[in-house]
Amino acid sequence: MAAIQEYKCPCCGGAIAFDSALQKMKCPFCDTEFEMETLASYDSELQKEQADDMKWETDAGEEWQDGEADGLNSYVCRSCGGEIACDSNTAAASCPFCGNPVVMMGRFSGTLKPNYVIPFKLDKKAAKAALKRHYDGKRLLPKVFKDQNHINEVKGVYVPFWLFDADADVDMRYKATKVRVWSDSKYNYTETSFFAVSRGGSIGFERVPVDGSVKMPDDLMESIEPFDFSEMVDFQTAYLAGFMADKYDVDAEQSAERANERIRQSVEDAFKATVTGYETVTKETGSIQLQNGKVKYALLPVWILNTTWNGENYLFAMNGQTGKMVGDLPLDKAAYKKWLFGLTGIISTVIFAASYLIWLL
Amino acid sequence: MKKRLFTIFSALLLSVLLTIPVFAAGDLPRLVDAADLLSDSEEMDLLEELDEISERQQVDIVVVTVDSLEGESAMEYADDVFDYYSYGFGDERDGILFLISIEERDWAISTAGYGITAVTDAGREYMAEMFTSDLREGNYLAAFTTFAELCDDFVTQARTGEPYDVGNFPQEPFNVGVSLAIALAAGLVISLIVTGIMRGGLKSVHSQQTADNYVKKGSMRVEKEKDLFLYRHIDRRERPKESSSSGGSSTHTSSSGTTHGGGSGKF
Repeated sequence: MAAIQEYKCPCCGGAIAFDSALQKMKCPFCDTEFEMETLASYDSELQKEQADDMKWETDAGEEWQDGEADGLNSYVCRSCGGEIACDSNTAAASCPFCGNPVVMMGRFSGTLKPNYVIPFKLDKKAAKAALKRHYDGKRLLPKVFKDQNHINEVKGVYVPFWLFDADADVDMRYKATKVRVWSDSKYNYTETSFFAVSRGGSIGFERVPVDGSVKMPDDLMESIEPFDFSEMVDFQTAYLAGFMADKYDVDAEQSAERANERIRQSVEDAFKATVTGYETVTKETGSIQLQNGKVKYALLPVWILNTTWNGENYLFAMNGQTGKMVGDLPLDKAAYKKWLFGLTGIISTVIFAASYLIWLL
Repeated sequence: MKKRLFTIFSALLLSVLLTIPVFAAGDLPRLVDAADLLSDSEEMDLLEELDEISERQQVDIVVVTVDSLEGESAMEYADDVFDYYSYGFGDERDGILFLISIEERDWAISTAGYGITAVTDAGREYMAEMFTSDLREGNYLAAFTTFAELCDDFVTQARTGEPYDVGNFPQEPFNVGVSLAIALAAGLVISLIVTGIMRGGLKSVHSQQTADNYVKKGSMRVEKEKDLFLYRHIDRRERPKESSSSGGSSTHTSSSGTTHGGGSGKF
């Protein structure tokens, strides 16, 4: 006699028993019937489940060589505490993030040397033009906002990013249903078949970027993605000439959480897309095991403009490589009301006239 | 039955004595006010109208009022009156009879021959909507006049080959209030959507939910694909009964074996 094996009903979770009359397994709670092999097979799938493993080797960045950072000055913002670096030929007067004056700290020191940099490809002129385009066609943008803007204060900043590389081993389990509908003279029938669907495999990720600066909002930086990493080169201090560089203040370990979230979502989407031919597919469990998770430290080019309007701070950012411009704009409430009521009046009149015409015909 | 015949006969006698009867297709006048709901002058006017329409359309339009149905259903009573007093034009006995009984507050419309074609089930419901409120308020003359005019209208429409039926009714007057309210509501919803899109244009900062841009090209491999059937549920529901919205007229057979259309209701 084999060891007593208890199975749980995949339908309701109750303990299931063998029904000798049916020669099948039957759940005493929900009356669902199962083949013996089905349950055994389902049970073995359940045994295989394991927890996520999304660990990274967070030894990104390099040590500075002697004298390499000598040409860099360090500035600190009095207001937001941000620390930025410039080469000694570039004078920084105000903080790119909050617009307040900065003070020189002296020689740049400490922290890690970036592994890579994507050099600026677009200049200040392109950034100003992009900002103008960004305002165009926005009817609900307050006019004063456009006029009052100190567009000149746009600054080129190298923003620190952690780049995450890894291969993921994936094991996913879904509950899926197929529905069949038919009818005879008296009844309509709906048959729902339930399936346990497993998918396993692997998928690789390359350079998932997470910004390492507290002062740059994550959503703003994610909005100017993607960067073209094929143009990324080994870091040289010479690339900083004329620009500012932010020092990372969120380390790789803290940033990994954000990278994991995005990787997990991508993995789930990609594998769910392979489950086809069903009416509904619901994820039950899944595990992601990262292999060779490596992190690199890179500086990516961003044009930043900071504007204060009506006591609120507006931060705009442009991808210094692709020119993608983002930044939330304020709403002109008066203009909004004008448009809302004006449109309601016009559209209502048109609909009313149309309904009368239809009645006449 | 005898009692009922007597009632009607006495009413007939009364009308013979009081008015100058116009004997048309049948043996009885087209208005028999046994419940005495109308004044004499009203009776004369209505009868004149009924006769005029009936002769012109060659379809008997009849109004009968009684005090009580004597335990019969309004429909049976109306059919019997139609049959026993030989209403109806021609071999098909074309006619439409409207009966009301005061005691039960029932009304019935019995149709025969071309009347069945002209007054469909949906058409009868439409008629009922038009006259019940008058009946309820005791404006009998108004209700009967409405009925007579509707019959005239319905028969005329039926002669065109397309009787009033589901999806084919006389146009209702343009309702300014309702149309205006709907137009305003729709206008507001559309404007909210349009201005919502304009507002959305101001916002360009959105988090990325996925890392799809950073998947190594061709790196995805699916090595295990297992689809295991577990169990099935069958849900059985009774089919809904066919509704009568398909239009047309339903018919039944009266106690004397004649085919009638029509129906009844309360007021």
